[in-house]
Amino acid sequence: MQPTSSMNEEFLKKWQMGLQIFRPSIDNTSVHERKKAIKLSADVAMASLRKGTTCWSRALIEKTATEDNFLVRQMLSGIKAETLINKKLPKKTVCHRKIVRRSKKILRRKSKSASEEAAAKAKRLVKRRTQGLRNVVPGGELMSNDVLLLQETLDYIVSLQTQVNVMRSIVDAAEAEIER
Amino acid sequence: MDLSVLDRLKWLQQQQMVSPEFLQILGSDGREELKRVESYLGNNNDELQSFRHFPEFGPDYDTTDGCISRTSSFHMEPVKNNGHSRAITLQNKRKPEGKTEKREKKKIKAEDETEPSMKGKSNMSNTETSSEIQKPDYIHVRARRGEATDRHSLAERARREKISKKMKCLQDIVPGCNKVTGKAGMLDEIINYVQSLQQQVEFLSMKLSVINPELECHIDDLSAKQFQAYFTGPPEGDSKQSIMADFRSFPLHQQGSLDYSVINSDHTTSLGAKDHTSSSWETHSQCLYNSLRTDSVSNFFSLK
Repeated sequence: MQPTSSMNEEFLKKWQMGLQIFRPSIDNTSVHERKKAIKLSADVAMASLRKGTTCWSRALIEKTATEDNFLVRQMLSGIKAETLINKKLPKKTVCHRKIVRRSKKILRRKSKSASEEAAAKAKRLVKRRTQGLRNVVPGGELMSNDVLLLQETLDYIVSLQTQVNVMRSIVDAAEAEIER
Repeated sequence: MDLSVLDRLKWLQQQQMVSPEFLQILGSDGREELKRVESYLGNNNDELQSFRHFPEFGPDYDTTDGCISRTSSFHMEPVKNNGHSRAITLQNKRKPEGKTEKREKKKIKAEDETEPSMKGKSNMSNTETSSEIQKPDYIHVRARRGEATDRHSLAERARREKISKKMKCLQDIVPGCNKVTGKAGMLDEIINYVQSLQQQVEFLSMKLSVINPELECHIDDLSAKQFQAYFTGPPEGDSKQSIMADFRSFPLHQQGSLDYSVINSDHTTSLGAKDHTSSSWETHSQCLYNSLRTDSVSNFFSLK
């Protein structure tokens, strides 16, 4: 992990590069198009902080490449964009249906006591929230391991905080400029 | 024999007292029930130690999630044991903070009770279990001999320890997560925080696009000046500009998510009360706060 100031600086440089690529086409478009361009360049800049070493950054690069392939290749020119875009994401684990069905059948035979039922309910709640976390983090559906999911979430939150801090400072500076 | 009968009666009473309240596992009373269960489990210290040193056996398990077959059967030789063996059916997968390693072993042993019971030749232990099973009050199954130190059980224990470490790291990063107990509540807080950060990015992108497109030409100069003032502390020459920037940051905080803005405002307010130079403290405290966050993260894992 890099310290905060260098992470912010790196994000700012990459984001500026993305905005410069968009600049010729920004002037004549609507507010929605400009917002989309700013969001897209910010996402690619955030994903390029990790240089493809994490699942969420590869998933985010792949998602933005479908929207604007030219931008992604330009912004990732120093990090081997070809290998990143074509790199495979981890596959889902395949469970044999026979084994799962047979184990469920065996479990259903036994009658559960009250405490076992309570433990099963708690486990069900945790499982549902884990699935919700997979939906929120980019690439979360493809992580088969709970430990990997938590680690990716940890790194994603740190990068997202960096992005929010830098964008907020830019907005504050722009508003201060308008006040003059 | 009389002692064992008395212990059974006590255990029966405790079982009947505890079981209806466990249906409300999400309530705040779970802590007290945990203490009762722990106090009861602590009484079996001598009995559990007698099963600790049995050798490992059984087939190798594949530790990937969802692919573990639960239909494998064990063939054990019946071993005579003392007449004090007892079944424990209470299960609780919450982990209070003050647990020691010995209690973790007992809990792991208790969690293996869901395995089907052994079918073997009849002897003293089998007659006891069969007589207990025939009672209509409850059905109790305990972990079989040697399962706590099975390779699969050890792998499951290591996986749980990893998950708890990651959850502690996330607890440090996500604000407001220290108040929540339980894994489900913590996951809720994490999901809400990630979603609020994503919404802030959307909002800031929209706000930046609303500004006149002419300002895009000057964004290099603006970002350079503001960047230095915002992250490395305000220099003396730009004190007016930094004060205006800090003034602008307040309505933006209020428009963000509730958890994030409340904690930030509390943090800055408490620091502002101590020192009179509130504008410089806000900038400085944000840098400190961010650096403390990532420093705690970098201690636990490094991706580069």
